[in-house]
Amino acid sequence: MRVVRLLLVDDEKRFTETLGKRLVARGLFVETVNSGPEALAALESRPFDVVLLDVRMPGMDGLEVLRALKKAHPLVEVILLSGNASIHAAIEGMRLGAMDYLLKPADLEDVLAKVEEAFEKKKVAEERAKEDRRSRGLP
Amino acid sequence: MDNRPGPGPASGGGKGRLPHRGLRRLLVLLAAVPLPSFVLLALFALRPGRVSPPWVLATVLFGILATAGVAGLAVRRISRRLREVEGQRDSFFEELSRLSRVSSLGQVSSSIAHDLNNPLAILNEEAGWLSDLLSGAAGADGPALRAEMTASVAQIQEQVRRAREISRRILSWARETEGASGRVDLNEAVVKALHLLEGEMVERPVRVQRSLAPGLPPVPGTVAEVRQVILHLAKNALDAMGKEGGTLTLATRASDGKVVLSVGDTGPGIPRENLERIFEPFFTTKPEGQGTGLGLSISLYIVKKLGGTLEVESRPGEGTVFHVVLPAARESGEPDLPGGWHAGRETAPGG
Repeated sequence: MRVVRLLLVDDEKRFTETLGKRLVARGLFVETVNSGPEALAALESRPFDVVLLDVRMPGMDGLEVLRALKKAHPLVEVILLSGNASIHAAIEGMRLGAMDYLLKPADLEDVLAKVEEAFEKKKVAEERAKEDRRSRGLP
Repeated sequence: MDNRPGPGPASGGGKGRLPHRGLRRLLVLLAAVPLPSFVLLALFALRPGRVSPPWVLATVLFGILATAGVAGLAVRRISRRLREVEGQRDSFFEELSRLSRVSSLGQVSSSIAHDLNNPLAILNEEAGWLSDLLSGAAGADGPALRAEMTASVAQIQEQVRRAREISRRILSWARETEGASGRVDLNEAVVKALHLLEGEMVERPVRVQRSLAPGLPPVPGTVAEVRQVILHLAKNALDAMGKEGGTLTLATRASDGKVVLSVGDTGPGIPRENLERIFEPFFTTKPEGQGTGLGLSISLYIVKKLGGTLEVESRPGEGTVFHVVLPAARESGEPDLPGGWHAGRETAPGG
């Protein structure tokens, strides 16, 4: 089975480090970045399946990153992370194509379950895209 | 809280009107004595064929005196009533300003929750990582295990310190809300208000330009009152700029024994037809449920109470600046509170 390639984006450096280590210990491939532009740069150069994205970051915020990300990489699944239960941001995030929304502090089990769900969803979407191409006689 | 504009106590039902019945009774009583006397006197002075100039003069003088007397009494009566109505309005605004303090605390609590959840999220991960290390799930042992655990414990201590800072800030906010009237450092109030608005700002592309003149004399009022004015104006400025963001300017300066705070935005500006109405209670152009239309009227009330003025300059397409002009607080520590409601003025030069 393929390993989930996860990009963890949060301006809190220590948060990404420790959560990253815990996810690696559970068999995921994890890369961490601490700002929106860094996240987009990482996505440009390496493939990822799922992005765990903090909503509130100084400079380019999570929703802006999400918008740019979905435009360039529509198949990558995004799970938003936020420190406050802002319904507004959650709705806006879903509208922009995020798969789900997690509140900080989040239980690792919840994070893993959502990441797994996002990964499955992405695999299905990729299969469908592949079949689509095949049926149209493309490589 | 019900945000919809509607007939509040200020829109002047029964109690706010002039006392029709009382005033009528008074006028009737006053007219009952001098009016017939005046008529009799006039008839006497202008008896057909025997007009006597001294009596005519006396009649005219009597008429003038009686009119002046009646007018004077009426004016006294009306102004007493006006003062009562003003008192009612002041206590209404006092109550409104207390309520809006409570609601701005609600707003701020969302930002506090966010601030607090960040260290909590790290604490959560550190505790989880420590348990991973202890259970062997992390796959570390020997010196590596020891180093990981030491780093996690240090991080837990660090994040607890951070959370404690936030809780101290909440406590100091609560204390200041009940603070005594006196001398307020306007610059400090601006910095603290900005801190409370951080939550509102991080989700939109807003640049904050702060230009605080050093060594400003203190202003009268309580920290809570001054901060409330700053919060209302800054919140309005942020809302005016909306999702596109822009530049929020907060500038303080001293000028002729007065202290001026200017709060500016680079939003669309206020249309001329709305400029005159923005200080009216319940006037709002924000979407339903997002503005009470009370922020500016409460701010104006507070500023006037402190003996200052609130002015607005707006250029459509360029933005809006509000200037709060406050007197410097007296040396003695006694609040400088000349006049009342009438001590201030509103100007709306527009653009």
